[in-house]
Amino acid sequence: MEGNYYVCTGCGLLCDDIEVELEKDAVSKVYTACRVGVAHMKEGSREAVSQVDGKPAEEAAAIEKAAEILKNAKNPLIFGLGTSTNEAQKKAIELAKKLNATLDDTSSFCLGPVVEALLQEKFNTCTLDDVRHKGDVMIFWGADPSDSHPRHLSKFSYFPRGEQKQRGWEEERTAIAIDIRKSHTAKICGSNFFQIPPGGDTEFINALIDGVSGKLPKTSYKFPPKRLLELANILKGAKFGTIFMGLGLLYSLESLDPIIKLVEVLNEKAKGEFHLIPVVGHYNMRGFNENLFAETGYVNCVKFENGEAKHGPEYSTVEALKAKAVDAALIIGSDPLASLPRSIVKNLLDIPIISIDPCETLTSRKAKVYFSTAVTGVECGGSATRMDGVEVKFDPILEAKRPTDEEILTKIMEAL
Amino acid sequence: MDFGSFLAAPEIKVKIVTYRDIFQNKAMIEDRFGEEYKNTSALIKMDSADLKQMSVKKGDTVIVKNSFGNIVVKVEESGYETPHKGIAYMPNSPWSNMLVSDETNGTGVPKFKDIEATVTSAKGAKVTDLEF
Ligand code: SF4
Repeated sequence: MEGNYYVCTGCGLLCDDIEVELEKDAVSKVYTACRVGVAHMKEGSREAVSQVDGKPAEEAAAIEKAAEILKNAKNPLIFGLGTSTNEAQKKAIELAKKLNATLDDTSSFCLGPVVEALLQEKFNTCTLDDVRHKGDVMIFWGADPSDSHPRHLSKFSYFPRGEQKQRGWEEERTAIAIDIRKSHTAKICGSNFFQIPPGGDTEFINALIDGVSGKLPKTSYKFPPKRLLELANILKGAKFGTIFMGLGLLYSLESLDPIIKLVEVLNEKAKGEFHLIPVVGHYNMRGFNENLFAETGYVNCVKFENGEAKHGPEYSTVEALKAKAVDAALIIGSDPLASLPRSIVKNLLDIPIISIDPCETLTSRKAKVYFSTAVTGVECGGSATRMDGVEVKFDPILEAKRPTDEEILTKIMEAL
Repeated sequence: MDFGSFLAAPEIKVKIVTYRDIFQNKAMIEDRFGEEYKNTSALIKMDSADLKQMSVKKGDTVIVKNSFGNIVVKVEESGYETPHKGIAYMPNSPWSNMLVSDETNGTGVPKFKDIEATVTSAKGAKVTDLEF
């Protein structure tokens, strides 16, 4: 974007219209961003910190220690990278190859399977800009962007004027929520909120397929067929429809086949086209999936052996930790001790951890070696892939006082 | 022994659904070891009838436990119009993650949103600290 607009890396939307004011080498005011974005962009003015065994250390000594841990490990795990630039991710893939490491990101236990199916072209998709310009029907399914991606509805999907949607949400857009609870997004959808029981998604999808195909839609939990038919009619009338798929839907499905089939059927029966976009949380999870896919044909859960990638759930972070298959962990921009079940992630405490993160976290506190690194988009630039596949480039706002994760990875690699 | 106190504090079985909250996200970015993050995360929202049955009110602490963990968090009424006795809601956080099963059937995906636990009054005990 031209002018003094910056990109927020606070979530998978990568909003590119942010203006800031600076005071004493720090971001003091942030305009246009949401509450999460403001907090995120004010993060980046900290001093560089390197630690070994919880005590301050020279960066060179910390690099040396990190390299030693990785050299001594038979099967190190490299994990995280959802909040790293494409450039840092590619560096991490190179490092994983060199170390014969297990490499995975958070997508293996969140929306990775959907991004994988997308890259394998198993369903029709589109960009968020397409939705802004043309979208008339959008379904938020097991997704609550009002909380997780606060500007989703205002910048892209529901409220804005778009090229072909000059009358916006008041007249031209219909937002639908399908969820097990009345989320803030569901409240915005008003009477187009369809509340289903936990685990009821597959049946609801099949009933909806029946509904749009002219059959009587039935569910074992007796969802009123009349309401299902009303929904089917809205979908059939859509000219440019999009399903925004969240974790709530993914976790409730045994397989992706039903939702893929629904998109297919809607493309046959609806007036116009239908698309699906995974509502990815971290700003560059999709980037990681695409970068690894380009290199290995897989989006996550790989183990390198002599340059070749083996793939399977046993190489996911969760299974590798459960089976105690990894003997050191290099964790970049992620806090698994906070975000994974304690019953599983406790095994991480038995192996040496190297943590690279802009913030102090539960994981960094338990790390043998810790590097505090620059917040991307604030203290360093780079590129990332938005949840809809659009590449977004960004410049730093401040002169960084601390290194980037890419620089630390490069130095570790050189020290091996 | 005061048997009455046992009778007055029944245990309620719940299924816990986790969710995300913008203010909790914001608090985590600002300081994940701070009070605000704790206040917006170490929280369980339940049906008002469940609160009544446990003889607790908004802001009291409760013990939520299962075979994987045991935490003390604050309880609130969910405010949802549709009654949901037996279904409770917690923001996704290190606290809710203390209750998630290690069973994954080899898939690599924990059942983050499918937690079963029991809830009882914590009788004034403090909210569990965020530590490992
Ligand atoms: S919606 Fe996401 S990318 Fe946009 S300002 Fe908020 S946190 Fe940043």
